[in-house]
Amino acid sequence: MKNVFSSLHLQRVGWEARAGSGSAGPVPATSCLAMAESPPLREPVLDAKSEVTCQLIDFQWKLGMAVSSDQCRSLKYPYVAVILKVADHSGQVNSKSIEMTIPQFQNFYRQFKEIAAVIETV
Amino acid sequence: MAGELEGAKSLSGLLSGLAQSAFHGHAGITEELLHGQLYPEVPPEEFRPFLAKMRGILKSIASADMDFNQLEAFLTAQTKKQGGITCDQAAVISKFWKSHKTRIRESLLNQSRWDNGLRGLSWRVDGKSQSRHSAQIDTPVAIVELEFGKSGQESEFLCLEFDEVKVKQTLKRLSEVEESINSLMQAA
Repeated sequence: MKNVFSSLHLQRVGWEARAGSGSAGPVPATSCLAMAESPPLREPVLDAKSEVTCQLIDFQWKLGMAVSSDQCRSLKYPYVAVILKVADHSGQVNSKSIEMTIPQFQNFYRQFKEIAAVIETV
Repeated sequence: MAGELEGAKSLSGLLSGLAQSAFHGHAGITEELLHGQLYPEVPPEEFRPFLAKMRGILKSIASADMDFNQLEAFLTAQTKKQGGITCDQAAVISKFWKSHKTRIRESLLNQSRWDNGLRGLSWRVDGKSQSRHSAQIDTPVAIVELEFGKSGQESEFLCLEFDEVKVKQTLKRLSEVEESINSLMQAA
């Protein structure tokens, strides 16, 4: 019988087994049984970052303003760009750069404040 | 034939098609499609320059991200020039921009973002955790999943683990960003 589990799915099953005390955003997975029977919801990538949890070593940030481009002369677009330096359990370090709009950043910040509030009570 | 080009509904449809093609990345909207669907009675040699004119006007408005005063002035100028547009056409274009401006601007911003954009954030806090790599027990842990990706490409996911200390450190860094944003907004 073809094993439809990927390591990503095994990770999800692991999450389901742990006790959780607060979460936000969409539920990570459907039931464990449903995961066993249905094809993967997303293609597992070979990139290690999506198969294991990583530690954030450092992050750099900048606040930028895109003024103009060939597509739009009047962009006037402020954005926050971050570079996340992360290490997996083997010690392998990778960097990922992500850009967000100001409202997206403000939501990101708000979510982290919520995490801080919850983690203190656990 | 000029009368055929006046119809508000057809022009509105044309502008939608042009926006889909020019801003929202819809590849299948060709001149032939727009002509056949919206202006079948108009000869192609008349339709072509009309389409080019409307495309040019829409791109100018979007590129300048015109507010409604600028739009009014721009369209009035277009009605006065040789080979420009009619007042009825100006009214249709104005109505179109007012209702589609936000979405078109969003598409233009996405096109100008070449790095990964943040698409989603999920998190959970676990009460207890054990790891074969670490002796930490009874340490609350936050697990944060970030979803991001480049424009038009599939999402990547990054899963990060934070203990309480790390959450606080990260929060401090994020507050620095927030401070910077507030300074920028005040200066604007």
